[in-house]
Amino acid sequence: MGRLFDEKARLFEGLVYDGNAFGKGPAWDPSLLKEGPAPLTELEREGIDRLSDVDLELMRHKLTSIVEEARDVYMSLSISEGIITGDMNCSIFTASGDPAVVATGIYFHSLLNYTQVKYINKYYRNDHTVGLKDGDIYFFNDELGGGVHTFDMFVAMPIFYEGELIAWAEVGGHQGDSGSVSPGGFSPKATSRYEEGLHICQMRIGENDEIRRDIFEFMCGSVRNPFVFGSDLKARVATCIRIRQRFLREVERRGVATTVGGLRKILTSTEQMARDRLRELNDGVYRAVLFNDDVGREPGLTRIPTTVFKEGDEMTVLVQSVSPENFAGSMHSTWHLVRASLGVYLFSYFFRGLPPNAGLLEPLRVLVEGPSIANSSAEVAHGEGTSISACVAQNLHVVGSKILFDSPYREAVSSPHSRNLLLYIFAGENRRGYQTANFTGTANAAGQGARYDLDGESALGFYWGPFTDSGEVEDIDSRLPQLVLGRVVEKNNHGYGKTRGGAPLVEISTAFGDRGCMMTSRGSADKLSHNPGVFGGYWGPPNPRFVIRNTNVMQLMAEGDDLKFANQYELLTERPLEGEYLISSSSGETQKFDEGDIFVWSLGGGGGYGDVLERDPEEVLLDLQSGLITQEVADKVYGLVLDPETRETDAEGTEKRRGEMRAERLRAGKTFDEFTKYWSKQKPKEEILKYYGHWPEPRLEEYDKPFWGQYR
Amino acid sequence: MRVTITEYLGLDLSEERWKCNRCGADLGSAQEPYKKGCLIRDRDPHDVHFPIGPNKGYNFAFDPEWVRIVEFYCPGCGTMLENEYLPPGHPLTWDIEVDLQQLKNKHLREDLS
Repeated sequence: MGRLFDEKARLFEGLVYDGNAFGKGPAWDPSLLKEGPAPLTELEREGIDRLSDVDLELMRHKLTSIVEEARDVYMSLSISEGIITGDMNCSIFTASGDPAVVATGIYFHSLLNYTQVKYINKYYRNDHTVGLKDGDIYFFNDELGGGVHTFDMFVAMPIFYEGELIAWAEVGGHQGDSGSVSPGGFSPKATSRYEEGLHICQMRIGENDEIRRDIFEFMCGSVRNPFVFGSDLKARVATCIRIRQRFLREVERRGVATTVGGLRKILTSTEQMARDRLRELNDGVYRAVLFNDDVGREPGLTRIPTTVFKEGDEMTVLVQSVSPENFAGSMHSTWHLVRASLGVYLFSYFFRGLPPNAGLLEPLRVLVEGPSIANSSAEVAHGEGTSISACVAQNLHVVGSKILFDSPYREAVSSPHSRNLLLYIFAGENRRGYQTANFTGTANAAGQGARYDLDGESALGFYWGPFTDSGEVEDIDSRLPQLVLGRVVEKNNHGYGKTRGGAPLVEISTAFGDRGCMMTSRGSADKLSHNPGVFGGYWGPPNPRFVIRNTNVMQLMAEGDDLKFANQYELLTERPLEGEYLISSSSGETQKFDEGDIFVWSLGGGGGYGDVLERDPEEVLLDLQSGLITQEVADKVYGLVLDPETRETDAEGTEKRRGEMRAERLRAGKTFDEFTKYWSKQKPKEEILKYYGHWPEPRLEEYDKPFWGQYR
Repeated sequence: MRVTITEYLGLDLSEERWKCNRCGADLGSAQEPYKKGCLIRDRDPHDVHFPIGPNKGYNFAFDPEWVRIVEFYCPGCGTMLENEYLPPGHPLTWDIEVDLQQLKNKHLREDLS
């Protein structure tokens, strides 16, 4: 593992680390989940030997263009909100099932959809009751088989050439309702996987390019939105067939060995590029920690720490002394979900510029203590496991910025993208007359973290997917049982700093029609945040659920009022609507909402970078003038002084004020010994720690060191 | 020889000590957390993130019973080098333990080349 790891790390005995905390099941095999790329086949070896570096680049470009075309095809054919806005993935795998080329909106899908294919190869291909042949269609959505959660659904089809399996085509994404206890899939109150609907590890649902009618009707009948489900399933099959057609055309043009060898070499060359980059970075041990504030059924503090050992051309990510699993909600991740989630940061920032495929993760070893909320057992509900795995990815982002600063890749140094999850899942009959249950693309417009040389972009994208889009309001209105009234960028809802985080888009909508709609909310980060700043930058703030019941908005619209309320800050401070203003935990029961009830929804702002007192006063004024911050923030946080007459910045006055603020820091700050003497006596209330484990280190009783993680 | 490790942290390789990048103040041994050389203050998060709305527990600001902001200042110039948002009493984070020998070897190689 390396000298630093051997000197500093301790693995607690009796726990699972390198793999999942659940064993082999009837249709899943966790040993496949931790396997690296399969050994080279003879055909791959033959092809690799023929390929020059130029051939490989041409091949990479061509195969990537095939999956990118497939992405467009799938998004165009789908009628699921998530897919349309980019919460999806299209891939070509090697014959062994390793993902080689990927087009996606969501990077982690690229790492959570291939173990199922390896399972088919290992257990079904030579089983006389199943087998594998050209034109077979496989479906999967079970998290234990290697997926995310049951709401993310995939189709894979083998690609044969002259009777030999040479590759796989795969297409899928966040489809939505799975027949779980809450409409739309996510069930924050679920306590076991059996409340999360249809679980299919991998099942052949069709042959000869056709879905079997009996299976199709069984699957559609298992969910609340059969028309959307069935339509989307067919879209996935059609897209797989398109990938197969394009891939086989390349086989005809280049020869089968060359194409298959190229597919494999793309993987191995990517790993080598990742190792080369790692060698340029400072070795060391780096740590970051995040906390969650909700377990689903009720509020509760849990802990997700991350230690990174960077040594030579390898990195070990150790997630240890995590809060235990709790059976009180669905915020339980799996080892493979944590590993895949790291790709979200690594692909976009840490390894930016390198091809985004599974090869990038090969220099990483991921050790996650289990059973715990980060590496949980089979029986718990896993639907919101991403709330935990994302904390590890956010920690890695903070750590990564500290590793990259003293390197040629400083341009990738930043605070993490907003991950304060809050999803409103709307269910009911839409204007087109069919049942629907899903969230809108508003999720895809959170704020970016501040960058070392630039502010974070506002309303940039979804945490999991840089390529996602927030969708067209009129389209959303037609597909979901709600009416969007406005979308605006939020005030005081990002992290402040030398450069500031991006602010989120806020969507304000109402239930639509006489029948209204059902709405389930899910999320966390209501009392705290998962949007850290770096190098002294303040964090993006919490964003709890906000609804207003029984408003007069429909009456105002009927009277011609153009609804000039701008954002949630002004809704709450100016109260332009009559009604009952309700702010609560993101984890909500499914509730009925009527026309005129208002939903206010955002996914939060990114953290800041650097000391607020170093922000250019002119930039602070710009933030104030553009409505991103209030006068109070400009005064009290940034120390901005304005000329009372011209309202322009008073440079001298600002410098003087900031000098006073620095002097106040020096006066109020304690030495390390003074601080730890006082700090070590503090502790949250017992009711807050109900699900935490031992305080302050969940795995150790009476830990009393001033820094966490010092287990030796 | 002084190298830059982060926005505000420098490291004197010959002395093996942390330094403030803004004013040069000494922040202690590089074998130890630089936070030991800082002035430290814990703050009510409402000093920075102002609550809005009628609900005490959910108001788009951090709940001070759950989270405090721990700020680390350079003792020389008062620059905020880092902060942590921690539950009250939670141990601090030793966030950067650089491998000094590897760092020295790397910069020695750069000097020679």
